[in-house]
Amino acid sequence: MSLDDDIAAWAATVRLPDAEADAIFERIVATPAPALPVTPRLDPSWWRHFTADFTARMVASTRPVRQAA
Amino acid sequence: MDREAEFRRLYEAHRAAVHAYFTGRTGDPQSAADLMQDVFLRVWQHLEKLTGMPEDRQRAWIFTVARNLSVDAHRHQHTRADAEQAVAHEPALAPQSASTAASTAVIAAERVAVAGEAIRRLPESQRVTLTMAAVGGMTSAELAAALGVPAGTVRYRLSLARRAVAEALDRYDDPTEK
Repeated sequence: MSLDDDIAAWAATVRLPDAEADAIFERIVATPAPALPVTPRLDPSWWRHFTADFTARMVASTRPVRQAA
Repeated sequence: MDREAEFRRLYEAHRAAVHAYFTGRTGDPQSAADLMQDVFLRVWQHLEKLTGMPEDRQRAWIFTVARNLSVDAHRHQHTRADAEQAVAHEPALAPQSASTAASTAVIAAERVAVAGEAIRRLPESQRVTLTMAAVGGMTSAELAAALGVPAGTVRYRLSLARRAVAEALDRYDDPTEK
């Protein structure tokens, strides 16, 4: 036997058998998947409210000031 | 996304390499299987983070977890010390028995045992590298990425490890040498 053959033969003795690997897989997927983290989200209508408010302020601030009589 | 299918893809792609890594670190395939399970449990728990990563980053992530677990295992369980102790208590192979063995299969089995013992006695970095190459079937480039060392270092370690195993087999073949 060549060195490569000897090393390959040794590798076969320590390699994880497929049946054991499958059992490990099944054990892992049987554990509950973690719940997705709930991240705080903006109200979906925030942009509409923001632009409406911004527009109103812009219009108000650029309105010509009436001169007192 | 089918979570389990995605996990299976990652598991099948990396399990052999991860098991080989731990076998190299601990010297014990069963401990390696337990540690491999811990690694993939973390993969399962963080699958959303891994999905969409490029293949090389997924491998790097998995082996970072493996290295951290391995450090913990060494710290808490002294697995390396256990492995060395186990080797120290193994009955010494008697090269003379080869000469009396008529069966080629027996000689082949003894050569495998000699190779295994030589591998277990290698310095850890060489043992891990050789085990991952031989058991995990990884290339030098893949080993370099997984271990975080240059590919040249991987090739050097493999060369030293193979030489040590070859010398052990030479001594077995010809016990009168040296």
